[in-house]
Order: sequence, then C-alpha cells, then structure tokens
Amino acid sequence: MIDLRFLIFLPIAVGIFLYVLPESIKIVKGIIALLVSAISFFFAYKVFLLEPQIINIHCFLFEKIDKFFVFNVDNLSKVVTLFIGFFGFMFVLYSLSYITKKKKIISYYSYYLMTIGSSFGAVLTDNFITFIFFWGLLGLTLYKLIKGYDDESSSAAKKSLILIGASDSIIILGIALLWKIGGTYRMSGINTATTGALAIVAFISLVIGSLTKAGAFPVHSWIPDYVKKAPASSSAFLPASLDKLLGIYFLARICMNLFELTQWATMLLLIIGSITIIAAVMMALVQHNYKKLLGYHAVSQVGYMVIGVGLGTPLGIAGGLFHMINHALYKSGLFLTAGSVEKRTGEEDIENLGGLSKYMPLTFITALICALSISGIPPLNGFASKWMIYQGIIDFGNGSGLASRLWVVWLVLAVFGSALTLASFIKFISGIYLGRRKKEFEKVKEVSILMWLPQIIIAAVCVIFGVFAAKLIVPAFITPVSGAFKEIGMWDSQMVSFLILVSIIVGFIIYLIGNIKKLRTEDSFIGGEKIQEETNYSPLEFYKTVSKFPLLAFFYKKAEKKWFDLYDIFTKIILWFNNLFSKAHSGILSTYLIWVVAGLIILLIILI
Amino acid sequence: MGKEIFYFLIFPGLLFSGVIGGFLSWFDRKITARVQFRQGPPILQPFYDFVKLLAKETIVPLKGSRLTFLFAPVFALFGATMSSVFILLPALGIETGFSGDIIVLIYLLNIPSVCYIIGALASANPMASVGASREMKLILSYEVPFLLVLLSIVIKADMSIKLSEIIAVQSANGAFIGSISGIIGFITILMCIQAKLGLVPFDIAEAEGEICDGVAIEYSGSALALIKLTKYIMLFAIPALVVLLFMGGMNFVGINILWSILKVLLVVLLITLIRNTNPRVKIKQAMKFFWVWMNLFAIVAVILAIFGL
Repeated sequence: MIDLRFLIFLPIAVGIFLYVLPESIKIVKGIIALLVSAISFFFAYKVFLLEPQIINIHCFLFEKIDKFFVFNVDNLSKVVTLFIGFFGFMFVLYSLSYITKKKKIISYYSYYLMTIGSSFGAVLTDNFITFIFFWGLLGLTLYKLIKGYDDESSSAAKKSLILIGASDSIIILGIALLWKIGGTYRMSGINTATTGALAIVAFISLVIGSLTKAGAFPVHSWIPDYVKKAPASSSAFLPASLDKLLGIYFLARICMNLFELTQWATMLLLIIGSITIIAAVMMALVQHNYKKLLGYHAVSQVGYMVIGVGLGTPLGIAGGLFHMINHALYKSGLFLTAGSVEKRTGEEDIENLGGLSKYMPLTFITALICALSISGIPPLNGFASKWMIYQGIIDFGNGSGLASRLWVVWLVLAVFGSALTLASFIKFISGIYLGRRKKEFEKVKEVSILMWLPQIIIAAVCVIFGVFAAKLIVPAFITPVSGAFKEIGMWDSQMVSFLILVSIIVGFIIYLIGNIKKLRTEDSFIGGEKIQEETNYSPLEFYKTVSKFPLLAFFYKKAEKKWFDLYDIFTKIILWFNNLFSKAHSGILSTYLIWVVAGLIILLIILI
Repeated sequence: MGKEIFYFLIFPGLLFSGVIGGFLSWFDRKITARVQFRQGPPILQPFYDFVKLLAKETIVPLKGSRLTFLFAPVFALFGATMSSVFILLPALGIETGFSGDIIVLIYLLNIPSVCYIIGALASANPMASVGASREMKLILSYEVPFLLVLLSIVIKADMSIKLSEIIAVQSANGAFIGSISGIIGFITILMCIQAKLGLVPFDIAEAEGEICDGVAIEYSGSALALIKLTKYIMLFAIPALVVLLFMGGMNFVGINILWSILKVLLVVLLITLIRNTNPRVKIKQAMKFFWVWMNLFAIVAVILAIFGL
C-alpha cells in the first residue's frame, strides 16, 4: 500500500529536509509545504475512499519492526484523516501570508509538516507503541510552533509541553496496563470491560491522555495560555482543530473499541463534559483578550463532544463526532479571523477595537458565521451537531441507571452553556467588528487573498455542513462510524435554509415597498445629548452584572488565583517540596558531613 | 416545496400570524387603555402603524455597520415566522412532515432576540449597546427556567419532544395544566414569556423612559416596521405555544373554535395584566428573580413531573 507511506512519512521527511534548509528562503519553504500538504490532502481523500481494512507496511530494511507498522483504516480513522488533510492544506495557505518577519518562528513549515505527518500516523496506526511515538511527537511540535519572545509566551509554551508530556506518560501507563490485561499492543484486538481495578485505572489514564490533548476540564489550562501567545495559524492548527480531532478520536476509540463502558464510566464522562462546558464558558465571558476568549471556547466546546461520546449510544456518538468536526471548522475559522484582525490592527484587546466590519468585510462575514455557528444558531453546523447531542441525551434518559435518571441536568447544562457561548460571542463580534468606527482604524484594509480565501472556504463549509447535515454530511461521514440511529426530533434543515432565502426576498420586498430610497444617514441619537468620543458603552461592561453575582464572584476570584488550574496546583506542590528539601542545602560542610555519617550508619544497620 | 412556502408565507406563517398577532396587539393595547381608564385605539390601529412606518423615511446610523443593521430585522422576522409555523402547524392539528420539536423551538425562538442584539450593536449607539447587553442578560436569565418547564412537559408526555405527540398525550389524559406540576410550570413559563416578549416588568432592554427604546433606538421607517411585525408574530406564537403545552392545543371544529380563541386570549390577557400592574425591575433584580426563584419553581415542577404529579 503506497498511499499510507506517502501520507505519513512524506510530510515528516520533507519536514526534516526543510529543517536543514536556511531560513532566508522562507517563501520557497512555504511553497514546498503547500505542495506537500496538498499532496497529503489528496492522499487523505484517497484513504477516505478505501474500504475498512488492516494495512501492513514493509517500509524499512529490518523485518523485525514490521509489526509496528500495522495500520487500521476503519470508518472512524479515515474520516479524521480526511479532515486532518483538509485543515493542513487550509492553514498552510493562510500561513504563507500570515507568518511574516515579525511573526517568524524558526522552521515553522518544518514543524508544520511534521505535525501533519504525525497526526496521520497517530490516527491510522493500530499499534500502541507507534501511536504513542506519533502522539508524543505532536506534543513536541506543538511546543515548537509557538514562539517564546517574552516571559508570558515562554511560560505558556512550557506549560503546554509539560501538561501534554505528563499526559503522554499517563497514556503509557494505561497502555502498559492494557498490555498486562490483554497481552497485545494491537488496538483492534482489545475490548476490555471497565470492571476490575486494572481495567479501571487503564481506562482513566487513557481518558486523561485524550482529554488533555482535546483540552477538557481540569486538564485544559494549557489552551487559553497557548492561544493567547501563539501565532493565530498555530492556534487554529493545533489547539483549535488537530488536537480536537485527535483527542476526541482517541476518546471515541477508547469508548467504542478499547473498552466497554459501564454506567459509572458514562457518569464520569458526563460530569467532566458538563463541568467543562459551563466552567470554561464562564471564564470566556469575562475575557478581554479576544484570542484568550476563543481559547476558553476551544475548551468549552470539548464538553459537548465528551458528553456525546460518553453517552455511548449511536445517536450520542454521532453527535459528539459531528460536533468534533464542526468545532474544528468554526473554531479554526474564528482563529484565522482573529489572526487577520491582529495582523491588520496590532491590537489584542477587545476594548481597543471596534467598527472593523466596514474595513474588513470578508473577515467580518467569516467571523459572524463562525460565531453564530458556535452559538448554535440554526441552520448552521454548530446547531446541527448540538441538536444531535441534545437528542442523544433525551434518548439516553429513557434508560435505567443513575446517569440516565439525571438526563435533565446534562441537558440543561448543555443548553445553558450554549446560551452563555452566544453571550460571549456577542461581546466578541460587537467589540471587534460592530460598534462605533474608530479614527485610528480608518486605514485598515482587508487582508490579502491568501488569508481571506481559507477563511471564506471554512465559513462556507460551516454553512454547507449545517444546511445539508441530515441528508448528506452525517450519512457520508458520521453514520458509518456510529452505526445507524433514529433521530427522535424533527428538523428539516434544507427546507428551513431555503425559507431563509425566501424571507430575505420578502424582507427586500418590504424594504422596497417602504420608502427605502429615502435612506438618510445620521449620527446616533442618544436622547438629545452630544456624541463625544467618551460616550461609549464598552462591550467589556456587558457582563459585569454576571460576574458580580455573589456565588459567581467567589468562583471568579478563585479562578483568577488559579485555583482550578491543575498545572498551577502541581507547580505549587512541587515548589513547596523544593523549598523543604532546599533547607537541607545549607552550604555548611559540617552539616553535610553529619548527614553523610548518619546515612552511612543507617545503611550499615539495615545491611547488617 | 410549494406547500412549505405556503405554510411559511400565508398560513399559518407570515400573513396569518402577522394578522392575528396584530389583532392580539390591539387587544393588549385596548386592555391596557381600559386599565388606565382611557378609550384605547381602534381595532385596526396596529395595521395603520405598520403601513405608516413603511411610508416613513429610513435613517441609518452614520458610524455603524449599515448592512448588518438593515439585515438584522429581516432575520428576526424569519425567526419569528419560522417558530410560529412550527408551533401552529401542530397546534392547529395540521398533519405534515415539515415540523420542528421542542429543542428546535427553543433555538428558533431565540433568533429574534439575537437579531435585535446584533442590529442594535451594529447601530453603534451607546444606548443600543446598553439595551443589547441587557437583552442578552435577560436571555441568560430566562433560558434555564424556560427549558426546565419544557422538560417537565417532555417528562409528562412520556419523553417525547414532538409537539404533535404532546398534544396527543393531553387529549388522551387531559390538559397538563390540570396537575400540580402543570400549574407550577404554567406560572413559571408565564414569567419567562413576559421576559421573552420584552413586556413590563421585564422590558429592561427597551426601557423607553431610560434608554429610549434601547435595542430599537436607531430603527426607523421600514426597518422598524419589520421589527413591529416580528413583535406581532411573537405575540401570537408564544401564547399559542403556552396553550399547546399546557391547555391541549387548539381545535377548529364546532364549538371548539370559541374555546381555542378564548385560550389564546386568556394567556394574552394574563400577560397584559401583569404588564399593567407592575413597575419595571432592574436587570440585576430580574436575573436574581429568574436564577433563584423561577429556577426553584421549575425544578419543583420537573421533580413533581418525574413522580407523575
């Protein structure tokens, strides 16, 4: 099978080759990366067309290592492969114009290509050892795709590396336990029930690994910090799209193939999912930095996928996986627009922006579509998948067991999370694109075609995936994975979208009947007072009332002190131990000598 | 496809619910006038208003985003019409494959509010921004109790989220308002729709005396006419939803026509009386009211519904 070899090793090999080339020919590197990502997109599509099968590759000289190169092309992995190819191609297009001198990251394209190759490898492989190899490589490239130019960015990069690295080692523990139980490293040969201590520990460690990659509470904290400082193309590439695809892919693999979920495992996933949704979106509500706001949403949306996959029913899994794809689409679209705004204005704070919709119309349209989509406004794709998850929850409520009985709780938290998402995106859209136009942005222009084209394509795909969800998209991508399911609700997305067109026409007619030709522009009326520069109601003020509610204020204060950041908690514990042990290092030779002699005596006593 | 366009534009969509909504709006104004010892407008006044607004010139804000500003009311009208179609088709007992369920409705009913917010923000008026932020906070407040009440209905209707099946269960076992959880749910949803329709005491987002109509401050002429039409439709669609969920829907055979009309009028009368006998609350008070008290009510309704009461 020549396809897979091209898919996985070509990007990595070219990535290593580009690493050797000098930085001064960055354009050439970019074009090579574009070509390679186009080729891998093409092969990803070819893999998508394959029948489900196990593929063995004999690619190196030693026959002994052939057993590591067993690849499993099944319905799940080929869908994820296709979308990795798609996103890889889109973002390299964007990067060509976005990664300029100022944003320069050493060997950006080299690490970019390695990321693509290892993502393909991690998704397609059937061997746990190969899997953890590629998976670990992804953590490394994540670390290299952010530039450490000040304290905050370096610590963000370090934090991501440490959290991802720690989760990788936890996965290794899980893999070892699975090997102990099943005696094989082949994923396709494992199907363990989550009963017994070993299996439960293995399940939890693999879930922790997948959730860290995807970014769910409480192991999410690397994402907001990372996206705040990383270039937008890196944020769109890894935390927004590829890491979600991989993390949720692995979670689905765990829940569908590797383990049989018990009631308690489901309960655990549902609790994690709903806490993630609410906690992260509450944090997003009060952010000032728009990239960080998007970062918190990248966390919050994971909750829906975890709930969907955790339900374990075909409808729930279908919803979760569809949401994973949709999230990757609209969130990466949002990150790309954020990058465009940042490139043109140089501002990172919502407060300093405003009224850009006139100067950057295409970016505005992308951002609006993606923002409405993530808020679940019908008939866009975010609604389509959320609606499937909601149906899954209601359907799940018919079952017996504690988790099923509590279906109202999961559903209410999920829907409320969606309303909160809408609230924070109102802030995002109005703060950046709507509102009063500011003088300092009068010379702002739309970004170049290389940047707006990927944005528009992604926005268009968002619309298409929403409109044709039930008829075309879900049957093509999702149903083969999740198995057939029956929707319990009713929603004809195509017809409704058609009626939207009808109502736009009706709106036009009403405007035409009315006296629209007498259109007059006039400055705002604010109750007879004079408009001044200071007369403004900043979007940052919108949700002050919310953050001042007694109980919520308490949580916000604690969150500001990083009480809910696992990384920070562990750092504190480790530093505390460091302090404790450093007391022994007093620098006085005689004290050290006493320690040595005392140790020697203890040793002698034990040995004798 | 022709059938669906008919549903959408003529009956029970745009035209029908617009006209009925106009009459309901007159009813609301007439009752208000009687409460305040005034004469009240003639029955066609809402339609005069609409036509008059079409003839007026439209002013767009200088520093805002013009297209977004003008498009927002169109989408708001779409949201209102679509939800009225999805509510009225089952409520009137019209059998068709084209319908929605409760969850879809929650989202569709939010579209008008979202469009007002986006339009208001596009107008770049500080007062509109204040109104928009309040509208959004209001959505956040009533969303959870509204959803919980709907879920109590879902539980009572044997886990069905289809409106037609909810009506079928009621016609078999009697209307849901006849049970304890039904009464509690009805009270809660009455408060929620008061906020959804933007009526006193929850007209905080519009607050004429304070922020000059808030979200709608910059709208004039045809655009304002569209907003008015949206409000008429919502004034019919939402009470119809309440009738459907709690009073067993409507029926247009024989004497039942009278009952159906009276049911809708009763709901509109209730919300009109509430709006005429209460002062406007502050946004913080409203949020506290919904988050604490209405949630409590709704949770009680859900628990009672689980136990079949």
